[in-house]
Amino acid sequence: MRESTIMQLQYGTAILAIGLVTVHLLMQGVLVPYGEAISFQRVLSVYRNVVDAALLEVLLIVVLAHGFNGLRIILLEWRQSARWTRGVNWVVLLVTLAAISYGTRTVILAATGQVS
Amino acid sequence: MDGRELALRIQRFDPSIEERPHVERYAVPLKDGMTVLDALIYAKDRIDHGIALRFSCRMASCGSCGMKINGRPRLACETQVSDLRSSTITIQPMDNFPIVRDLVVDLESFFSKHAAISPRLVRKGDPDEQDSPSGEYLMTPQELESFVQFTYCIKCGLCSSSCPTSSTDALFPGPQALAQEYRYLQDARDEAGDERLDLVDTEHGVWRCHFAGTCSAVCPKGVDPALGIQLLKRHVMAARSPLRRRKSKRTGARLFPNPNKDLLTRP
Repeated sequence: MRESTIMQLQYGTAILAIGLVTVHLLMQGVLVPYGEAISFQRVLSVYRNVVDAALLEVLLIVVLAHGFNGLRIILLEWRQSARWTRGVNWVVLLVTLAAISYGTRTVILAATGQVS
Repeated sequence: MDGRELALRIQRFDPSIEERPHVERYAVPLKDGMTVLDALIYAKDRIDHGIALRFSCRMASCGSCGMKINGRPRLACETQVSDLRSSTITIQPMDNFPIVRDLVVDLESFFSKHAAISPRLVRKGDPDEQDSPSGEYLMTPQELESFVQFTYCIKCGLCSSSCPTSSTDALFPGPQALAQEYRYLQDARDEAGDERLDLVDTEHGVWRCHFAGTCSAVCPKGVDPALGIQLLKRHVMAARSPLRRRKSKRTGARLFPNPNKDLLTRP
Protein backbone atom coordinates (compact mmCIF):
# COMPACT_ATOMS: atom_id res chain seq x y z
CA MET A 1 0.00 0.00 0.00
CA ARG A 2 1.28 3.45 -0.89
CA GLU A 3 2.24 5.73 1.99
CA SER A 4 -0.20 8.37 0.69
CA THR A 5 -3.05 5.83 0.96
CA ILE A 6 -2.01 4.98 4.53
CA MET A 7 -1.87 8.69 5.39
CA GLN A 8 -5.33 9.23 3.88
CA LEU A 9 -6.55 6.54 6.27
CA GLN A 10 -4.62 8.22 9.10
CA TYR A 11 -6.25 11.60 8.47
CA GLY A 12 -9.67 10.01 7.85
CA THR A 13 -9.57 7.99 11.06
CA ALA A 14 -8.44 11.10 12.98
CA ILE A 15 -11.50 13.04 11.79
CA LEU A 16 -13.82 10.10 12.46
CA ALA A 17 -12.32 9.53 15.90
CA ILE A 18 -13.02 13.13 16.92
CA GLY A 19 -16.72 12.64 16.16
CA LEU A 20 -17.01 9.15 17.60
CA VAL A 21 -15.05 9.88 20.79
CA THR A 22 -17.19 12.98 21.31
CA VAL A 23 -20.37 10.89 21.04
CA HIS A 24 -18.82 8.24 23.30
CA LEU A 25 -17.89 10.78 25.99
CA LEU A 26 -21.30 12.44 25.76
CA MET A 27 -22.91 9.05 26.41
CA GLN A 28 -20.52 8.33 29.29
CA GLY A 29 -20.80 11.47 31.33
CA VAL A 30 -23.15 14.09 29.92
CA LEU A 31 -26.31 12.50 28.53
CA VAL A 32 -26.11 9.65 31.05
CA PRO A 33 -24.68 10.31 34.55
CA TYR A 34 -21.13 8.90 34.81
CA GLY A 35 -21.85 6.51 37.73
CA GLU A 36 -24.79 5.02 35.89
CA ALA A 37 -22.98 4.90 32.54
CA ILE A 38 -20.23 2.60 33.81
CA SER A 39 -22.46 0.20 35.74
CA PHE A 40 -22.12 -3.37 34.43
CA GLN A 41 -25.73 -3.84 33.40
CA ARG A 42 -25.92 -0.46 31.69
CA VAL A 43 -22.74 -1.23 29.68
CA LEU A 44 -24.19 -4.58 28.61
CA SER A 45 -27.44 -2.91 27.55
CA VAL A 46 -25.45 -0.51 25.34
CA TYR A 47 -23.81 -3.45 23.56
CA ARG A 48 -27.22 -5.08 23.02
CA ASN A 49 -28.47 -2.07 21.12
CA VAL A 50 -27.47 -2.69 17.49
CA VAL A 51 -26.76 0.97 16.67
CA ASP A 52 -24.66 1.51 19.81
CA ALA A 53 -22.77 -1.75 19.27
CA ALA A 54 -22.06 -0.79 15.66
CA LEU A 55 -20.79 2.63 16.76
CA LEU A 56 -18.54 0.98 19.36
CA GLU A 57 -17.17 -1.38 16.71
CA VAL A 58 -16.43 1.51 14.34
CA LEU A 59 -14.82 3.45 17.22
CA LEU A 60 -12.70 0.41 18.03
CA ILE A 61 -11.45 0.04 14.45
CA VAL A 62 -10.88 3.77 13.92
CA VAL A 63 -8.97 4.34 17.17
CA LEU A 64 -6.85 1.20 16.87
CA ALA A 65 -5.98 1.81 13.21
CA HIS A 66 -5.09 5.45 13.93
CA GLY A 67 -3.13 4.72 17.10
CA PHE A 68 -1.13 1.79 15.78
CA ASN A 69 -0.29 3.64 12.56
CA GLY A 70 0.95 6.52 14.70
CA LEU A 71 3.15 4.06 16.58
CA ARG A 72 4.39 2.72 13.24
CA ILE A 73 5.40 6.23 12.16
CA ILE A 74 7.32 6.77 15.42
CA LEU A 75 9.12 3.44 14.99
CA LEU A 76 10.03 4.25 11.37
CA GLU A 77 11.58 7.54 12.48
CA TRP A 78 13.40 5.83 15.34
CA ARG A 79 15.52 3.51 13.19
CA GLN A 80 16.15 3.26 9.49
CA SER A 81 16.85 0.20 7.40
CA ALA A 82 14.90 -1.67 4.76
CA ARG A 83 14.59 -4.67 7.10
CA TRP A 84 13.37 -2.56 10.02
CA THR A 85 10.84 -0.74 7.81
CA ARG A 86 9.46 -4.00 6.41
CA GLY A 87 9.39 -5.61 9.87
CA VAL A 88 7.64 -2.66 11.51
CA ASN A 89 5.04 -2.50 8.72
CA TRP A 90 4.15 -6.17 9.06
CA VAL A 91 4.28 -6.40 12.86
CA VAL A 92 2.12 -3.28 13.30
CA LEU A 93 -0.38 -4.55 10.71
CA LEU A 94 -0.65 -7.94 12.44
CA VAL A 95 -0.90 -6.44 15.95
CA THR A 96 -3.59 -4.00 14.74
CA LEU A 97 -5.61 -6.82 13.17
CA ALA A 98 -5.19 -8.95 16.32
CA ALA A 99 -6.34 -6.10 18.57
CA ILE A 100 -9.32 -5.33 16.32
CA SER A 101 -10.24 -9.06 16.27
CA TYR A 102 -10.04 -9.30 20.05
CA GLY A 103 -12.14 -6.15 20.51
CA THR A 104 -14.66 -7.30 17.90
CA ARG A 105 -14.96 -10.63 19.71
CA THR A 106 -15.84 -8.73 22.91
CA VAL A 107 -18.42 -6.60 21.07
CA ILE A 108 -20.00 -9.71 19.49
CA LEU A 109 -20.08 -11.65 22.77
CA ALA A 110 -21.68 -8.74 24.63
CA ALA A 111 -24.10 -7.92 21.81
CA THR A 112 -25.32 -11.49 21.47
CA GLY A 113 -25.93 -11.91 25.19
CA GLN A 114 -23.09 -14.33 25.77
CA VAL A 115 -21.82 -12.13 28.61
CA SER A 116 -24.14 -11.68 31.54
CA MET B 1 32.36 50.78 18.96
CA ASP B 2 36.18 50.93 18.54
CA GLY B 3 38.12 49.78 21.59
CA ARG B 4 35.43 47.34 22.63
CA GLU B 5 35.93 43.63 22.45
CA LEU B 6 33.74 40.80 21.35
CA ALA B 7 34.07 37.39 22.98
CA LEU B 8 33.79 34.51 20.52
CA ARG B 9 33.12 31.08 22.02
CA ILE B 10 33.93 28.66 19.22
CA GLN B 11 33.27 24.94 19.40
CA ARG B 12 36.44 23.10 18.40
CA PHE B 13 36.52 19.45 17.46
CA ASP B 14 38.77 17.24 15.40
CA PRO B 15 37.07 13.81 15.26
CA SER B 16 40.31 12.17 14.12
CA ILE B 17 42.11 12.94 17.39
CA GLU B 18 39.45 14.01 19.92
CA GLU B 19 36.58 12.16 21.54
CA ARG B 20 34.32 15.10 22.17
CA PRO B 21 34.08 18.79 21.24
CA HIS B 22 35.33 21.58 23.51
CA VAL B 23 34.86 25.34 23.45
CA GLU B 24 37.64 27.90 23.06
CA ARG B 25 37.29 31.60 23.74
CA TYR B 26 38.74 34.38 21.55
CA ALA B 27 38.69 38.13 22.12
CA VAL B 28 38.11 40.05 18.88
CA PRO B 29 38.10 43.86 18.51
CA LEU B 30 34.58 45.00 17.69
CA LYS B 31 34.02 47.21 14.64
CA ASP B 32 30.98 48.92 13.16
CA GLY B 33 29.18 46.77 10.61
CA MET B 34 31.08 43.65 11.68
CA THR B 35 29.53 40.34 10.75
CA VAL B 36 30.07 37.09 12.60
CA LEU B 37 32.10 35.91 9.60
CA ASP B 38 34.35 39.01 9.89
CA ALA B 39 34.92 38.15 13.56
CA LEU B 40 35.69 34.52 12.73
CA ILE B 41 38.12 35.50 9.96
CA TYR B 42 39.85 37.90 12.37
CA ALA B 43 40.19 35.13 14.96
CA LYS B 44 41.54 32.73 12.33
CA ASP B 45 43.97 35.23 10.78
CA ARG B 46 45.27 36.92 13.93
CA ILE B 47 44.77 34.54 16.85
CA ASP B 48 44.46 30.87 15.89
CA HIS B 49 45.14 29.70 12.33
CA GLY B 50 43.81 26.28 13.25
CA ILE B 51 40.14 27.30 13.38
CA ALA B 52 38.39 25.43 10.56
CA LEU B 53 35.48 27.16 8.86
CA ARG B 54 33.98 27.22 5.39
CA PHE B 55 33.10 30.43 3.58
CA SER B 56 33.24 31.92 0.11
CA CYS B 57 31.13 34.76 -1.26
CA ARG B 58 30.59 36.75 1.98
CA MET B 59 27.23 38.02 0.61
CA ALA B 60 24.69 35.29 1.44
CA SER B 61 24.77 33.89 -2.09
CA CYS B 62 26.88 30.75 -1.89
CA GLY B 63 25.51 29.23 1.32
CA SER B 64 28.93 28.05 2.51
CA CYS B 65 29.09 29.65 5.96
CA GLY B 66 26.06 28.03 7.62
CA MET B 67 26.63 27.49 11.33
CA LYS B 68 24.86 27.71 14.66
CA ILE B 69 25.24 31.20 16.09
CA ASN B 70 23.96 31.69 19.62
CA GLY B 71 21.97 28.48 19.23
CA ARG B 72 20.26 29.36 15.94
CA PRO B 73 21.30 28.17 12.47
CA ARG B 74 22.38 31.21 10.45
CA LEU B 75 24.77 32.31 7.72
CA ALA B 76 27.78 33.89 9.43
CA CYS B 77 28.29 36.33 6.55
CA GLU B 78 24.88 37.94 6.84
CA THR B 79 24.63 37.94 10.63
CA GLN B 80 25.55 41.34 12.01
CA VAL B 81 27.21 41.15 15.41
CA SER B 82 25.17 44.17 16.53
CA ASP B 83 21.91 42.33 15.72
CA LEU B 84 22.78 39.62 18.22
CA ARG B 85 22.77 42.17 21.08
CA SER B 86 25.37 40.28 23.03
CA SER B 87 29.05 40.81 23.75
CA THR B 88 29.58 37.05 23.75
CA ILE B 89 28.79 34.95 20.70
CA THR B 90 28.72 31.17 20.79
CA ILE B 91 29.43 29.51 17.46
CA GLN B 92 28.90 25.81 16.78
CA PRO B 93 28.69 23.68 13.65
CA MET B 94 25.27 22.97 12.15
CA ASP B 95 23.29 20.14 13.74
CA ASN B 96 22.24 16.99 11.87
CA PHE B 97 25.49 16.74 9.89
CA PRO B 98 28.73 14.90 10.74
CA ILE B 99 31.51 17.26 11.81
CA VAL B 100 34.60 17.28 9.58
CA ARG B 101 36.44 19.71 11.88
CA ASP B 102 35.44 22.62 14.12
CA LEU B 103 32.70 24.52 12.20
CA VAL B 104 32.98 22.52 8.98
CA VAL B 105 30.35 19.83 8.49
CA ASP B 106 30.06 17.09 5.89
CA LEU B 107 27.23 18.00 3.49
CA GLU B 108 27.57 14.86 1.36
CA SER B 109 24.23 13.38 2.49
CA PHE B 110 22.52 16.77 2.01
CA PHE B 111 23.61 17.06 -1.62
CA SER B 112 22.92 13.37 -2.30
CA LYS B 113 19.34 13.87 -1.14
CA HIS B 114 19.04 16.94 -3.33
CA ALA B 115 20.35 14.98 -6.33
CA ALA B 116 18.01 12.07 -5.56
CA ILE B 117 14.85 14.12 -6.17
CA SER B 118 15.85 14.73 -9.80
CA PRO B 119 16.35 18.51 -9.57
CA ARG B 120 16.02 19.22 -13.27
CA LEU B 121 13.27 19.71 -15.83
CA VAL B 122 12.12 16.45 -17.35
CA ARG B 123 10.61 16.66 -20.82
CA LYS B 124 9.12 13.55 -22.35
CA GLY B 125 7.44 14.90 -25.45
CA ASP B 126 10.52 16.68 -26.79
CA PRO B 127 13.62 15.24 -25.08
CA ASP B 128 15.93 16.46 -27.85
CA GLU B 129 14.91 20.01 -27.03
CA GLN B 130 16.86 19.75 -23.79
CA ASP B 131 20.12 19.03 -25.62
CA SER B 132 19.56 21.23 -28.65
CA PRO B 133 17.17 24.05 -27.76
CA SER B 134 15.25 25.50 -30.68
CA GLY B 135 12.95 27.85 -28.80
CA GLU B 136 11.72 29.02 -25.43
CA TYR B 137 9.24 27.56 -22.98
CA LEU B 138 6.84 30.33 -22.11
CA MET B 139 5.05 30.50 -18.78
CA THR B 140 2.46 32.89 -17.46
CA PRO B 141 3.51 35.16 -14.58
CA GLN B 142 1.06 33.22 -12.38
CA GLU B 143 2.71 29.90 -13.24
CA LEU B 144 6.11 31.34 -12.38
CA GLU B 145 4.82 32.92 -9.19
CA SER B 146 3.55 29.54 -7.96
CA PHE B 147 7.08 28.20 -7.46
CA VAL B 148 9.56 31.04 -7.93
CA GLN B 149 10.35 31.49 -4.22
CA PHE B 150 11.73 27.93 -4.10
CA THR B 151 14.24 28.75 -6.82
CA TYR B 152 15.92 31.18 -4.39
CA CYS B 153 17.30 28.23 -2.36
CA ILE B 154 21.10 28.46 -2.04
CA LYS B 155 21.51 24.96 -0.55
CA CYS B 156 23.17 26.19 2.63
CA GLY B 157 21.72 23.34 4.71
CA LEU B 158 20.33 25.56 7.50
CA CYS B 159 16.81 24.19 7.02
CA SER B 160 17.92 20.58 7.32
CA SER B 161 20.08 21.37 10.34
CA SER B 162 17.05 22.78 12.16
CA CYS B 163 14.60 20.03 11.12
CA PRO B 164 13.52 17.73 13.98
CA THR B 165 12.67 14.88 11.58
CA SER B 166 16.07 15.11 9.90
CA SER B 167 17.70 14.73 13.32
CA THR B 168 16.06 11.34 13.87
CA ASP B 169 15.31 9.91 10.42
CA ALA B 170 18.47 9.61 8.31
CA LEU B 171 16.43 8.60 5.25
CA PHE B 172 14.15 11.64 5.38
CA PRO B 173 15.01 13.81 2.34
CA GLY B 174 14.83 16.98 4.43
CA PRO B 175 13.07 20.29 3.81
CA GLN B 176 15.45 21.48 1.11
CA ALA B 177 15.03 18.44 -1.13
CA LEU B 178 11.26 18.22 -0.58
CA ALA B 179 10.72 21.90 -1.31
CA GLN B 180 12.78 21.50 -4.49
CA GLU B 181 10.65 18.51 -5.47
CA TYR B 182 7.60 20.73 -5.15
CA ARG B 183 9.36 23.43 -7.20
CA TYR B 184 9.90 21.03 -10.14
CA LEU B 185 6.50 19.36 -9.81
CA GLN B 186 4.83 22.76 -9.91
CA ASP B 187 6.92 23.96 -12.85
CA ALA B 188 4.66 24.03 -15.92
CA ARG B 189 7.58 22.91 -18.10
CA ASP B 190 8.21 19.68 -16.18
CA GLU B 191 6.61 16.42 -17.31
CA ALA B 192 7.97 13.94 -14.75
CA GLY B 193 4.63 13.82 -12.88
CA ASP B 194 4.15 10.40 -11.28
CA GLU B 195 7.90 9.71 -11.25
CA ARG B 196 8.35 12.67 -8.90
CA LEU B 197 5.56 11.45 -6.65
CA ASP B 198 7.18 7.99 -6.42
CA LEU B 199 10.33 9.64 -5.04
CA VAL B 200 8.55 11.26 -2.09
CA ASP B 201 5.49 9.07 -1.48
CA THR B 202 7.44 6.58 0.66
CA GLU B 203 7.75 5.54 4.30
CA HIS B 204 10.55 8.05 4.85
CA GLY B 205 9.32 10.64 2.37
CA VAL B 206 7.14 13.71 2.45
CA TRP B 207 4.70 12.32 5.05
CA ARG B 208 7.34 12.31 7.75
CA CYS B 209 7.30 16.12 7.88
CA HIS B 210 5.43 17.05 11.06
CA PHE B 211 5.27 20.72 10.17
CA ALA B 212 7.48 22.08 12.95
CA GLY B 213 8.20 24.96 10.57
CA THR B 214 11.78 25.53 11.79
CA CYS B 215 13.08 25.20 8.21
CA SER B 216 11.14 28.28 7.13
CA ALA B 217 12.07 30.18 10.29
CA VAL B 218 15.83 29.83 9.67
CA CYS B 219 15.98 30.16 5.87
CA PRO B 220 18.32 33.11 5.09
CA LYS B 221 16.73 33.67 1.67
CA GLY B 222 13.13 33.94 2.86
CA VAL B 223 12.11 30.66 1.24
CA ASP B 224 9.27 28.81 2.96
CA PRO B 225 10.17 25.11 2.65
CA ALA B 226 7.47 24.13 5.14
CA LEU B 227 4.86 25.61 2.79
CA GLY B 228 6.40 23.77 -0.17
CA ILE B 229 6.22 20.48 1.72
CA GLN B 230 2.56 20.97 2.65
CA LEU B 231 1.73 21.86 -0.97
CA LEU B 232 3.68 18.80 -2.10
CA LYS B 233 1.57 16.65 0.24
CA ARG B 234 -1.55 18.16 -1.33
CA HIS B 235 -0.23 17.37 -4.81
CA VAL B 236 0.51 13.76 -3.84
CA MET B 237 -2.85 13.30 -2.14
CA ALA B 238 -4.77 14.78 -5.08
CA ALA B 239 -2.82 13.08 -7.86
CA ARG B 240 -3.01 9.69 -6.16
CA SER B 241 -6.71 9.92 -5.34
CA PRO B 242 -8.57 7.16 -7.24
CA LEU B 243 -11.55 9.48 -7.78
CA ARG B 244 -9.36 12.20 -9.27
CA ARG B 245 -7.53 9.68 -11.50
CA ARG B 246 -10.84 8.30 -12.80
CA LYS B 247 -12.09 11.81 -13.52
CA SER B 248 -8.82 12.67 -15.24
CA LYS B 249 -9.12 9.59 -17.45
CA ARG B 250 -12.72 10.43 -18.31
CA THR B 251 -12.42 14.15 -18.91
CA GLY B 252 -8.73 14.58 -19.69
CA ALA B 253 -8.33 16.96 -16.73
CA ARG B 254 -4.71 17.42 -15.71
CA LEU B 255 -3.34 15.69 -12.63
CA PHE B 256 -0.19 17.81 -12.71
CA PRO B 257 0.53 21.41 -13.69
CA ASN B 258 1.87 19.98 -16.95
CA PRO B 259 2.12 18.22 -19.50
CA ASN B 260 1.61 21.16 -21.78
CA LYS B 261 3.63 20.86 -24.95
CA ASP B 262 2.22 24.10 -26.31
CA LEU B 263 4.65 25.98 -24.05
CA LEU B 264 7.47 25.66 -26.54
CA THR B 265 7.58 28.66 -28.82
CA ARG B 266 10.06 28.93 -31.65
CA PRO B 267 11.24 32.23 -33.10
